[in-house]
Amino acid sequence: MEQANPLRPDGESKGGVLAHLERLETQMSKSRKQSEEPQSVQAQEGALGTKIHKLRHLRDELRAAVRHRQASVKASIANVEPNLAVEMSEQEVLEEKLENVKAVLQAYRFTGLSGKLTSRGVCVCINTAFEGNLLDSYFVDLVIQKPLRIHHHSVPVFIPLEEIAAKYLQTNIQHFLFSLCEYLNAYSGRKYQADRLQSDFAALLTGPLQRNPLCNLLSFTYKLDPGGQSFPFCARLLYKDLTATLPTDVTVTYQGVDALSTSWEEQRASHETLFCMKPLHQVFASFARKGEKLDMSLVS
Amino acid sequence: MSLATKSFQAIHQFNSEGWKSSKDLKSQLGHLESELSFLSTLTGINIRNYSKQTEDLTGTEMTEKSIRKVLQRHRLSGNCHMVTFQLEFQILEIQNKERLSSAVTDLNIIMEPTECSELSEFVSRAEERKDLFMFFRSLHFFVEWFEYRKRTFKHFKEKYPDAVHLSEGPSSPSIVIRSASQPGFELVIVWRIQIDEDGKVFPKLDLLTKVPQRGRVPGCSCFRCLLNMPSKAAYFLWVSQGKNQKLEISLMYFSIKF
Repeated sequence: MEQANPLRPDGESKGGVLAHLERLETQMSKSRKQSEEPQSVQAQEGALGTKIHKLRHLRDELRAAVRHRQASVKASIANVEPNLAVEMSEQEVLEEKLENVKAVLQAYRFTGLSGKLTSRGVCVCINTAFEGNLLDSYFVDLVIQKPLRIHHHSVPVFIPLEEIAAKYLQTNIQHFLFSLCEYLNAYSGRKYQADRLQSDFAALLTGPLQRNPLCNLLSFTYKLDPGGQSFPFCARLLYKDLTATLPTDVTVTYQGVDALSTSWEEQRASHETLFCMKPLHQVFASFARKGEKLDMSLVS
Repeated sequence: MSLATKSFQAIHQFNSEGWKSSKDLKSQLGHLESELSFLSTLTGINIRNYSKQTEDLTGTEMTEKSIRKVLQRHRLSGNCHMVTFQLEFQILEIQNKERLSSAVTDLNIIMEPTECSELSEFVSRAEERKDLFMFFRSLHFFVEWFEYRKRTFKHFKEKYPDAVHLSEGPSSPSIVIRSASQPGFELVIVWRIQIDEDGKVFPKLDLLTKVPQRGRVPGCSCFRCLLNMPSKAAYFLWVSQGKNQKLEISLMYFSIKF
Protein backbone atom coordinates (compact mmCIF):
# COMPACT_ATOMS: atom_id res chain seq x y z
CA MET A 1 0.00 0.00 0.00
CA GLU A 2 2.65 2.41 0.99
CA GLN A 3 4.88 2.08 -1.96
CA ALA A 4 7.75 4.41 -2.27
CA ASN A 5 6.36 7.22 -4.34
CA PRO A 6 9.03 9.29 -6.13
CA LEU A 7 6.93 12.42 -5.69
CA ARG A 8 6.62 12.10 -1.96
CA PRO A 9 9.55 12.79 0.36
CA ASP A 10 10.99 9.74 2.01
CA GLY A 11 10.11 10.78 5.54
CA GLU A 12 6.43 10.66 4.86
CA SER A 13 6.28 7.15 3.62
CA LYS A 14 8.01 6.03 6.81
CA GLY A 15 5.66 5.03 9.53
CA GLY A 16 3.02 4.54 6.89
CA VAL A 17 -0.42 3.96 8.37
CA LEU A 18 0.37 5.34 11.82
CA ALA A 19 1.67 8.52 10.38
CA HIS A 20 -1.44 8.81 8.29
CA LEU A 21 -3.57 8.30 11.33
CA GLU A 22 -1.69 10.99 13.19
CA ARG A 23 -2.29 13.33 10.36
CA LEU A 24 -5.96 12.62 10.33
CA GLU A 25 -6.14 13.25 14.06
CA THR A 26 -4.45 16.60 13.87
CA GLN A 27 -6.71 17.52 11.03
CA MET A 28 -9.73 16.70 13.10
CA SER A 29 -8.60 18.71 16.11
CA LYS A 30 -7.83 21.62 13.83
CA SER A 31 -11.27 21.60 12.29
CA ARG A 32 -12.82 21.37 15.71
CA LYS A 33 -10.93 24.41 16.78
CA GLN A 34 -12.03 26.25 13.69
CA SER A 35 -15.63 25.40 14.36
CA GLU A 36 -15.17 26.56 17.91
CA GLU A 37 -13.34 29.75 16.96
CA PRO A 38 -16.12 31.20 14.85
CA GLN A 39 -18.34 30.70 17.81
CA SER A 40 -16.13 32.75 20.12
CA VAL A 41 -15.40 35.13 17.32
CA GLN A 42 -19.07 35.46 16.76
CA ALA A 43 -19.62 36.15 20.41
CA GLN A 44 -16.92 38.78 20.38
CA GLU A 45 -18.38 40.34 17.26
CA GLY A 46 -21.75 40.46 18.88
CA ALA A 47 -20.38 42.21 21.93
CA LEU A 48 -18.51 44.73 19.84
CA GLY A 49 -21.57 45.30 17.75
CA THR A 50 -23.70 46.27 20.65
CA LYS A 51 -20.89 48.45 21.94
CA ILE A 52 -20.73 50.25 18.59
CA HIS A 53 -24.44 50.67 18.60
CA LYS A 54 -24.34 52.19 22.07
CA LEU A 55 -21.49 54.53 21.16
CA ARG A 56 -23.26 55.66 18.01
CA HIS A 57 -26.34 56.40 19.98
CA LEU A 58 -24.30 58.38 22.47
CA ARG A 59 -22.61 60.29 19.66
CA ASP A 60 -25.92 61.21 18.10
CA GLU A 61 -27.20 62.41 21.40
CA LEU A 62 -24.15 64.57 21.96
CA ARG A 63 -24.33 65.98 18.45
CA ALA A 64 -27.94 66.91 18.95
CA ALA A 65 -27.04 68.56 22.21
CA VAL A 66 -24.24 70.55 20.59
CA ARG A 67 -26.50 71.67 17.78
CA HIS A 68 -29.15 72.69 20.21
CA ARG A 69 -26.67 74.73 22.19
CA GLN A 70 -25.19 76.38 19.11
CA ALA A 71 -28.63 77.34 17.98
CA SER A 72 -29.57 78.79 21.30
CA VAL A 73 -26.28 80.69 21.52
CA LYS A 74 -26.75 82.07 18.03
CA ALA A 75 -30.29 83.05 18.84
CA SER A 76 -29.29 84.80 22.00
CA ILE A 77 -26.41 86.58 20.32
CA ALA A 78 -28.71 87.62 17.55
CA ASN A 79 -31.10 88.96 20.11
CA VAL A 80 -28.49 90.74 22.10
CA GLU A 81 -26.29 92.27 19.38
CA PRO A 82 -27.38 91.53 15.83
CA ASN A 83 -24.78 93.88 14.36
CA LEU A 84 -21.81 92.16 15.92
CA ALA A 85 -22.76 88.82 14.48
CA VAL A 86 -22.86 90.33 11.00
CA GLU A 87 -19.63 92.22 11.59
CA MET A 88 -17.80 89.01 12.30
CA SER A 89 -18.46 87.56 8.89
CA GLU A 90 -17.81 90.96 7.35
CA GLN A 91 -14.38 90.84 8.94
CA GLU A 92 -13.70 87.46 7.42
CA VAL A 93 -14.74 88.82 4.05
CA LEU A 94 -12.43 91.79 4.47
CA GLU A 95 -9.52 89.60 5.46
CA GLU A 96 -10.04 87.37 2.47
CA LYS A 97 -10.24 90.34 0.14
CA LEU A 98 -7.08 91.75 1.64
CA GLU A 99 -5.20 88.52 1.11
CA ASN A 100 -6.37 88.38 -2.50
CA VAL A 101 -5.39 91.97 -3.23
CA LYS A 102 -1.97 91.49 -1.65
CA ALA A 103 -1.40 88.40 -3.78
CA VAL A 104 -2.45 90.12 -7.00
CA LEU A 105 -0.15 93.06 -6.24
CA GLN A 106 2.69 90.59 -5.91
CA ALA A 107 1.78 89.13 -9.28
CA TYR A 108 2.27 92.42 -11.12
CA ARG A 109 6.03 92.00 -11.11
CA PHE A 110 5.49 89.30 -13.77
CA THR A 111 4.25 91.95 -16.17
CA GLY A 112 7.66 93.60 -15.93
CA LEU A 113 6.27 96.67 -14.23
CA SER A 114 5.04 96.95 -10.66
CA GLY A 115 5.02 99.56 -7.96
CA LYS A 116 3.87 100.99 -4.69
CA LEU A 117 2.06 104.17 -3.83
CA THR A 118 4.13 106.45 -1.65
CA SER A 119 3.31 109.57 0.31
CA ARG A 120 4.85 111.65 -2.46
CA GLY A 121 3.56 109.73 -5.43
CA VAL A 122 4.59 106.36 -6.67
CA CYS A 123 7.66 104.15 -6.71
CA VAL A 124 7.75 102.06 -9.86
CA CYS A 125 9.78 98.87 -10.09
CA ILE A 126 11.04 97.75 -13.49
CA ASN A 127 11.96 94.08 -13.77
CA THR A 128 14.21 92.86 -16.56
CA ALA A 129 14.58 89.49 -18.21
CA PHE A 130 16.34 87.90 -21.17
CA GLU A 131 15.12 84.70 -22.81
CA GLY A 132 13.23 83.61 -19.74
CA ASN A 133 16.06 84.44 -17.34
CA LEU A 134 14.89 86.89 -14.70
CA LEU A 135 17.53 89.54 -14.20
CA ASP A 136 18.05 92.75 -12.23
CA SER A 137 15.29 95.13 -11.15
CA TYR A 138 15.45 98.90 -11.08
CA PHE A 139 13.24 101.44 -9.41
CA VAL A 140 12.11 104.95 -10.19
CA ASP A 141 10.58 107.03 -7.43
CA LEU A 142 8.22 109.61 -8.89
CA VAL A 143 6.82 112.65 -7.17
CA ILE A 144 3.30 113.46 -8.30
CA GLN A 145 3.50 117.22 -8.63
CA LYS A 146 3.31 119.72 -11.42
CA PRO A 147 5.77 119.19 -13.00
CA LEU A 148 6.23 115.48 -12.41
CA ARG A 149 9.74 114.72 -11.26
CA ILE A 150 11.98 111.84 -10.37
CA HIS A 151 12.82 111.87 -6.71
CA HIS A 152 15.41 109.16 -6.92
CA HIS A 153 16.14 106.02 -8.89
CA SER A 154 18.47 103.08 -9.31
CA VAL A 155 18.90 103.35 -13.08
CA PRO A 156 22.59 103.10 -14.11
CA VAL A 157 24.15 106.36 -15.15
CA PHE A 158 24.87 105.28 -18.73
CA ILE A 159 21.17 104.71 -19.49
CA PRO A 160 19.79 107.92 -21.05
CA LEU A 161 17.19 108.46 -18.33
CA GLU A 162 17.12 112.27 -18.59
CA GLU A 163 16.60 112.07 -22.36
CA ILE A 164 13.69 109.69 -22.02
CA ALA A 165 12.21 111.73 -19.19
CA ALA A 166 12.52 114.93 -21.20
CA LYS A 167 10.62 113.34 -24.07
CA TYR A 168 7.78 111.62 -22.26
CA LEU A 169 7.61 112.10 -18.52
CA GLN A 170 5.40 115.17 -18.49
CA THR A 171 3.00 114.07 -21.21
CA ASN A 172 2.66 110.33 -20.79
CA ILE A 173 3.96 108.42 -17.75
CA GLN A 174 3.15 105.11 -19.37
CA HIS A 175 5.20 105.90 -22.46
CA PHE A 176 8.07 107.09 -20.28
CA LEU A 177 8.09 103.87 -18.26
CA PHE A 178 7.69 101.57 -21.25
CA SER A 179 10.51 103.30 -23.06
CA LEU A 180 12.71 103.04 -19.97
CA CYS A 181 11.73 99.37 -19.74
CA GLU A 182 12.97 98.82 -23.28
CA TYR A 183 16.37 100.36 -22.57
CA LEU A 184 16.81 98.55 -19.26
CA ASN A 185 15.72 95.16 -20.63
CA ALA A 186 18.06 95.51 -23.58
CA TYR A 187 20.96 96.52 -21.32
CA SER A 188 20.23 93.58 -18.99
CA GLY A 189 20.14 91.24 -21.96
CA ARG A 190 23.46 92.44 -23.38
CA LYS A 191 25.08 92.27 -19.97
CA TYR A 192 23.76 88.73 -19.49
CA GLN A 193 25.23 87.62 -22.81
CA ALA A 194 28.63 89.12 -22.01
CA ASP A 195 28.63 87.60 -18.52
CA ARG A 196 27.76 84.17 -19.89
CA LEU A 197 30.52 84.42 -22.50
CA GLN A 198 33.07 85.21 -19.80
CA SER A 199 31.92 82.54 -17.36
CA ASP A 200 30.94 79.65 -19.63
CA PHE A 201 33.25 79.93 -22.63
CA ALA A 202 36.49 81.22 -21.16
CA ALA A 203 38.25 78.21 -22.71
CA LEU A 204 37.57 79.49 -26.21
CA LEU A 205 38.72 83.05 -25.48
CA THR A 206 42.38 83.76 -26.00
CA GLY A 207 42.30 87.06 -24.15
CA PRO A 208 40.09 89.03 -21.78
CA LEU A 209 36.66 90.19 -22.93
CA GLN A 210 36.73 93.96 -23.32
CA ARG A 211 33.45 95.66 -22.65
CA ASN A 212 32.07 99.07 -21.76
CA PRO A 213 29.63 99.59 -18.87
CA LEU A 214 26.68 99.91 -21.24
CA CYS A 215 27.70 96.56 -22.77
CA ASN A 216 27.10 97.88 -26.26
CA LEU A 217 30.72 97.61 -27.39
CA LEU A 218 32.41 94.26 -27.01
CA SER A 219 35.81 93.19 -28.22
CA PHE A 220 37.40 89.77 -27.82
CA THR A 221 39.69 87.24 -29.45
CA TYR A 222 38.75 83.61 -29.74
CA LYS A 223 39.83 80.32 -31.22
CA LEU A 224 37.61 77.47 -32.30
CA ASP A 225 40.31 74.93 -31.46
CA PRO A 226 42.05 76.20 -28.35
CA GLY A 227 44.98 73.81 -28.57
CA GLY A 228 45.37 74.17 -32.30
CA GLN A 229 47.87 75.87 -34.52
CA SER A 230 45.62 78.46 -36.11
CA PHE A 231 45.65 82.12 -35.27
CA PRO A 232 42.71 83.46 -33.34
CA PHE A 233 39.85 85.51 -34.72
CA CYS A 234 39.28 88.97 -33.37
CA ALA A 235 35.68 90.08 -33.03
CA ARG A 236 34.24 93.52 -32.45
CA LEU A 237 30.54 93.87 -31.72
CA LEU A 238 28.80 97.21 -31.70
CA TYR A 239 25.20 97.59 -30.57
CA LYS A 240 24.13 100.96 -31.94
CA ASP A 241 20.51 100.39 -31.08
CA LEU A 242 20.36 100.62 -27.30
CA THR A 243 16.93 98.96 -27.26
CA ALA A 244 18.26 95.84 -28.96
CA THR A 245 20.06 92.78 -27.65
CA LEU A 246 21.68 91.90 -30.98
CA PRO A 247 24.58 93.88 -32.47
CA THR A 248 24.15 96.23 -35.41
CA ASP A 249 27.79 96.13 -36.55
CA VAL A 250 30.04 93.09 -36.38
CA THR A 251 33.58 92.78 -37.66
CA VAL A 252 35.59 89.57 -37.38
CA THR A 253 39.22 89.84 -38.36
CA TYR A 254 42.13 87.48 -38.56
CA GLN A 255 45.23 88.18 -36.55
CA GLY A 256 47.71 86.15 -38.48
CA VAL A 257 50.34 87.38 -40.88
CA ASP A 258 49.46 85.22 -43.85
CA ALA A 259 46.31 85.51 -45.90
CA LEU A 260 43.42 83.29 -44.93
CA SER A 261 42.75 80.14 -46.89
CA THR A 262 39.31 80.01 -48.50
CA SER A 263 37.86 77.71 -45.88
CA TRP A 264 39.02 79.97 -43.06
CA GLU A 265 37.74 82.99 -44.96
CA GLU A 266 34.34 81.31 -45.25
CA GLN A 267 34.38 80.60 -41.58
CA ARG A 268 35.30 84.16 -40.73
CA ALA A 269 32.45 85.48 -42.85
CA SER A 270 29.96 83.01 -41.40
CA HIS A 271 30.95 84.04 -37.89
CA GLU A 272 30.23 87.64 -38.71
CA THR A 273 26.73 86.64 -39.75
CA LEU A 274 26.23 84.41 -36.74
CA PHE A 275 27.09 87.15 -34.27
CA CYS A 276 24.49 89.39 -35.89
CA MET A 277 21.75 86.83 -35.75
CA LYS A 278 22.06 84.97 -32.48
CA PRO A 279 22.82 85.92 -28.88
CA LEU A 280 26.53 85.87 -28.13
CA HIS A 281 26.59 82.97 -25.69
CA GLN A 282 24.48 80.84 -28.02
CA VAL A 283 26.93 81.39 -30.85
CA PHE A 284 29.75 80.22 -28.61
CA ALA A 285 27.68 77.25 -27.46
CA SER A 286 27.41 76.18 -31.10
CA PHE A 287 31.19 76.64 -31.46
CA ALA A 288 31.72 74.42 -28.45
CA ARG A 289 29.40 71.77 -29.87
CA LYS A 290 31.24 71.79 -33.19
CA GLY A 291 34.46 71.46 -31.28
CA GLU A 292 33.11 68.37 -29.54
CA LYS A 293 32.18 66.88 -32.87
CA LEU A 294 35.73 67.48 -34.10
CA ASP A 295 37.14 65.75 -31.03
CA MET A 296 34.91 62.76 -31.58
CA SER A 297 36.13 62.42 -35.15
CA LEU A 298 39.74 62.47 -33.91
CA VAL A 299 39.01 59.70 -31.42
CA SER A 300 37.36 57.44 -33.98
CA MET B 1 -29.42 84.65 29.22
CA SER B 2 -26.32 83.84 31.20
CA LEU B 3 -25.32 81.16 28.71
CA ALA B 4 -25.61 83.65 25.88
CA THR B 5 -23.63 86.27 27.72
CA LYS B 6 -20.91 83.77 28.58
CA SER B 7 -20.64 82.61 24.99
CA PHE B 8 -20.76 86.18 23.81
CA GLN B 9 -17.90 87.09 26.10
CA ALA B 10 -15.89 84.09 25.04
CA ILE B 11 -16.28 84.95 21.37
CA HIS B 12 -15.56 88.57 22.05
CA GLN B 13 -12.35 87.70 23.83
CA PHE B 14 -11.31 85.43 21.02
CA ASN B 15 -11.84 88.06 18.37
CA SER B 16 -11.27 91.23 20.33
CA GLU B 17 -8.07 91.98 18.44
CA GLY B 18 -9.82 91.44 15.13
CA TRP B 19 -12.76 93.66 15.97
CA LYS B 20 -10.63 96.57 16.98
CA SER B 21 -8.72 96.55 13.68
CA SER B 22 -11.72 96.12 11.40
CA LYS B 23 -11.49 99.78 10.53
CA ASP B 24 -7.77 99.39 9.95
CA LEU B 25 -8.52 96.50 7.63
CA LYS B 26 -10.87 98.63 5.60
CA SER B 27 -8.41 101.48 5.23
CA GLN B 28 -5.60 99.08 4.40
CA LEU B 29 -7.78 97.41 1.80
CA GLY B 30 -8.68 100.78 0.35
CA HIS B 31 -5.05 101.79 0.05
CA LEU B 32 -4.04 98.54 -1.62
CA GLU B 33 -7.00 98.65 -3.97
CA SER B 34 -5.97 102.08 -5.20
CA GLU B 35 -2.45 100.76 -5.71
CA LEU B 36 -3.96 97.93 -7.76
CA SER B 37 -6.01 100.32 -9.81
CA PHE B 38 -2.92 102.41 -10.54
CA LEU B 39 -0.92 99.38 -11.69
CA SER B 40 -3.80 98.17 -13.78
CA THR B 41 -4.01 101.51 -15.58
CA LEU B 42 -0.25 101.75 -15.96
CA THR B 43 0.33 98.31 -17.43
CA GLY B 44 -3.02 98.05 -19.18
CA ILE B 45 -3.30 94.62 -17.61
CA ASN B 46 -5.94 93.71 -15.05
CA ILE B 47 -4.83 90.75 -12.94
CA ARG B 48 -7.67 89.22 -10.97
CA ASN B 49 -6.31 86.06 -9.42
CA TYR B 50 -2.91 84.79 -8.46
CA SER B 51 -1.67 81.77 -6.60
CA LYS B 52 1.71 80.25 -6.03
CA GLN B 53 3.17 76.97 -4.85
CA THR B 54 6.74 76.35 -3.86
CA GLU B 55 8.65 73.09 -3.95
CA ASP B 56 12.10 72.68 -2.49
CA LEU B 57 14.17 70.53 -4.82
CA THR B 58 17.40 70.76 -2.88
CA GLY B 59 18.95 67.31 -2.61
CA THR B 60 21.31 66.29 0.19
CA GLU B 61 24.35 66.55 -2.10
CA MET B 62 23.37 70.08 -2.98
CA THR B 63 23.01 71.16 0.63
CA GLU B 64 26.57 70.03 1.29
CA LYS B 65 27.81 72.24 -1.53
CA SER B 66 25.51 75.01 -0.22
CA ILE B 67 23.39 74.99 -3.35
CA ARG B 68 19.68 75.48 -3.02
CA LYS B 69 17.12 74.66 -5.69
CA VAL B 70 13.51 75.81 -5.48
CA LEU B 71 10.73 75.33 -8.01
CA GLN B 72 7.87 77.82 -7.96
CA ARG B 73 4.57 77.16 -9.67
CA HIS B 74 2.54 80.24 -10.47
CA ARG B 75 -0.95 80.65 -11.76
CA LEU B 76 -2.53 83.93 -12.64
CA SER B 77 -5.56 85.08 -14.57
CA GLY B 78 -7.07 88.35 -15.60
CA ASN B 79 -7.98 90.42 -18.60
CA CYS B 80 -6.80 93.16 -20.89
CA HIS B 81 -10.01 94.84 -22.07
CA MET B 82 -11.94 92.21 -23.99
CA VAL B 83 -9.15 89.63 -23.96
CA THR B 84 -9.00 87.28 -20.97
CA PHE B 85 -5.90 85.26 -20.18
CA GLN B 86 -4.85 82.50 -17.87
CA LEU B 87 -1.18 81.80 -17.31
CA GLU B 88 0.56 78.91 -15.64
CA PHE B 89 4.30 79.07 -15.39
CA GLN B 90 7.19 77.64 -13.44
CA ILE B 91 10.25 79.44 -12.16
CA LEU B 92 13.35 77.56 -11.13
CA GLU B 93 15.56 79.31 -8.61
CA ILE B 94 19.09 78.09 -8.05
CA GLN B 95 21.13 79.66 -5.30
CA ASN B 96 24.84 78.90 -5.05
CA LYS B 97 27.67 80.68 -3.29
CA GLU B 98 28.20 83.25 -6.05
CA ARG B 99 24.73 84.14 -7.16
CA LEU B 100 21.03 83.47 -7.37
CA SER B 101 19.65 82.57 -10.77
CA SER B 102 15.97 82.61 -11.62
CA ALA B 103 14.59 81.29 -14.85
CA VAL B 104 11.17 80.61 -16.30
CA THR B 105 11.17 76.91 -17.14
CA ASP B 106 7.67 76.48 -18.45
CA LEU B 107 4.99 78.83 -19.69
CA ASN B 108 1.42 78.03 -20.67
CA ILE B 109 -0.97 80.68 -21.88
CA ILE B 110 -4.67 80.35 -22.51
CA MET B 111 -6.36 83.30 -24.17
CA GLU B 112 -9.89 84.19 -25.04
CA PRO B 113 -11.37 85.05 -27.48
CA THR B 114 -9.61 82.44 -29.52
CA GLU B 115 -10.79 83.77 -32.86
CA CYS B 116 -8.24 86.54 -32.69
CA SER B 117 -5.92 84.81 -35.16
CA GLU B 118 -3.51 87.70 -35.12
CA LEU B 119 -2.82 86.86 -31.49
CA SER B 120 -2.48 83.07 -31.55
CA GLU B 121 0.84 83.07 -33.40
CA PHE B 122 2.21 85.62 -30.98
CA VAL B 123 1.06 83.56 -28.01
CA SER B 124 2.88 80.42 -29.17
CA ARG B 125 6.02 82.48 -29.72
CA ALA B 126 5.83 83.87 -26.19
CA GLU B 127 5.32 80.37 -24.77
CA GLU B 128 8.31 79.05 -26.73
CA ARG B 129 10.55 81.87 -25.60
CA LYS B 130 9.17 81.77 -22.06
CA ASP B 131 9.01 85.52 -22.32
CA LEU B 132 6.47 86.70 -19.75
CA PHE B 133 7.27 90.38 -19.98
CA MET B 134 7.07 90.50 -23.76
CA PHE B 135 3.74 88.73 -23.61
CA PHE B 136 2.18 91.32 -21.32
CA ARG B 137 3.71 94.33 -23.01
CA SER B 138 2.76 93.25 -26.51
CA LEU B 139 -0.71 92.21 -25.39
CA HIS B 140 -1.29 95.67 -23.98
CA PHE B 141 -0.24 97.42 -27.20
CA PHE B 142 -2.08 94.97 -29.40
CA VAL B 143 -5.33 95.54 -27.52
CA GLU B 144 -4.81 99.31 -27.70
CA TRP B 145 -4.48 99.17 -31.47
CA PHE B 146 -7.40 96.72 -31.66
CA GLU B 147 -9.68 99.06 -29.77
CA TYR B 148 -8.53 102.03 -31.81
CA ARG B 149 -9.23 100.21 -35.07
CA LYS B 150 -12.65 99.20 -33.79
CA ARG B 151 -13.50 102.78 -32.83
CA THR B 152 -12.28 104.18 -36.14
CA PHE B 153 -14.25 101.73 -38.24
CA LYS B 154 -17.30 102.21 -36.06
CA HIS B 155 -17.08 105.96 -36.58
CA PHE B 156 -17.12 105.56 -40.36
CA LYS B 157 -19.83 102.95 -40.27
CA GLU B 158 -22.06 105.26 -38.29
CA LYS B 159 -21.33 108.24 -40.46
CA TYR B 160 -21.74 106.55 -43.83
CA PRO B 161 -23.94 103.54 -43.10
CA ASP B 162 -24.83 102.86 -46.72
CA ALA B 163 -21.38 103.06 -48.13
CA VAL B 164 -19.38 101.37 -45.41
CA HIS B 165 -19.53 97.67 -44.63
CA LEU B 166 -17.69 95.73 -42.00
CA SER B 167 -17.14 92.29 -43.45
CA GLU B 168 -16.61 90.45 -40.18
CA GLY B 169 -18.59 92.44 -37.69
CA PRO B 170 -17.43 95.20 -35.35
CA SER B 171 -13.98 93.70 -34.74
CA SER B 172 -13.37 93.20 -38.42
CA PRO B 173 -9.84 93.81 -39.63
CA SER B 174 -11.08 95.23 -42.89
CA ILE B 175 -13.61 97.72 -44.09
CA VAL B 176 -15.38 97.68 -47.43
CA ILE B 177 -16.60 100.85 -49.04
CA ARG B 178 -19.20 100.51 -51.77
CA SER B 179 -21.43 102.88 -53.51
CA ALA B 180 -25.10 102.00 -53.79
CA SER B 181 -25.55 104.01 -56.97
CA GLN B 182 -22.41 102.74 -58.69
CA PRO B 183 -22.18 99.02 -58.14
CA GLY B 184 -18.94 97.39 -59.11
CA PHE B 185 -16.82 99.99 -57.40
CA GLU B 186 -15.28 98.77 -54.23
CA LEU B 187 -12.62 100.02 -51.91
CA VAL B 188 -11.27 97.68 -49.27
CA ILE B 189 -9.06 98.92 -46.50
CA VAL B 190 -7.33 96.11 -44.67
CA TRP B 191 -5.89 97.14 -41.35
CA ARG B 192 -3.86 94.36 -39.82
CA ILE B 193 -2.20 94.53 -36.44
CA GLN B 194 1.06 92.63 -36.49
CA ILE B 195 3.42 91.59 -33.75
CA ASP B 196 7.00 91.04 -34.90
CA GLU B 197 9.72 88.74 -33.61
CA ASP B 198 10.73 91.16 -30.86
CA GLY B 199 7.19 91.69 -29.68
CA LYS B 200 6.79 95.12 -31.28
CA VAL B 201 3.22 95.82 -32.29
CA PHE B 202 2.55 97.80 -35.45
CA PRO B 203 -0.36 98.29 -37.83
CA LYS B 204 -0.13 97.28 -41.46
CA LEU B 205 -2.45 98.87 -43.95
CA ASP B 206 -3.42 97.64 -47.37
CA LEU B 207 -5.65 99.24 -49.90
CA LEU B 208 -7.51 97.21 -52.49
CA THR B 209 -9.67 98.67 -55.20
CA LYS B 210 -12.12 97.10 -57.50
CA VAL B 211 -13.07 99.14 -60.54
CA PRO B 212 -15.36 97.85 -63.30
CA GLN B 213 -13.58 97.58 -66.59
CA ARG B 214 -16.29 98.87 -68.83
CA GLY B 215 -15.48 102.49 -69.31
CA ARG B 216 -14.19 105.12 -67.02
CA VAL B 217 -16.32 106.87 -64.51
CA PRO B 218 -15.57 110.54 -63.96
CA GLY B 219 -14.20 111.37 -60.60
CA CYS B 220 -12.74 107.96 -60.04
CA SER B 221 -9.17 108.97 -60.73
CA CYS B 222 -9.72 112.02 -58.65
CA PHE B 223 -10.87 109.84 -55.84
CA ARG B 224 -7.75 107.75 -56.13
CA CYS B 225 -5.63 110.84 -55.95
CA LEU B 226 -7.36 111.96 -52.85
CA LEU B 227 -6.48 108.79 -51.09
CA ASN B 228 -2.88 109.13 -52.25
CA MET B 229 -2.77 105.40 -52.76
CA PRO B 230 0.82 104.77 -53.74
CA SER B 231 2.24 106.02 -50.48
CA LYS B 232 0.79 103.55 -48.04
CA ALA B 233 3.15 104.81 -45.40
CA ALA B 234 1.63 108.25 -45.46
CA TYR B 235 -1.77 106.66 -45.29
CA PHE B 236 -0.81 104.68 -42.27
CA LEU B 237 0.69 107.72 -40.64
CA TRP B 238 -2.35 109.85 -40.70
CA VAL B 239 -4.68 107.06 -39.75
CA SER B 240 -2.49 106.12 -36.82
CA GLN B 241 -2.19 109.64 -35.57
CA GLY B 242 -5.90 110.04 -35.59
CA LYS B 243 -5.85 112.36 -38.54
CA ASN B 244 -8.65 110.71 -40.39
CA GLN B 245 -9.56 113.82 -42.33
CA LYS B 246 -8.25 112.57 -45.62
CA LEU B 247 -10.17 109.35 -45.36
CA GLU B 248 -13.16 111.30 -44.17
CA ILE B 249 -13.02 113.63 -47.15
CA SER B 250 -12.57 110.77 -49.55
CA LEU B 251 -15.48 108.88 -48.17
CA MET B 252 -17.67 111.92 -48.30
CA TYR B 253 -16.64 112.50 -51.87
CA PHE B 254 -17.32 108.90 -52.68
CA SER B 255 -20.73 108.88 -51.12
CA ILE B 256 -21.71 112.21 -52.64
CA LYS B 257 -20.35 111.60 -56.09
CA PHE B 258 -21.64 108.11 -56.38
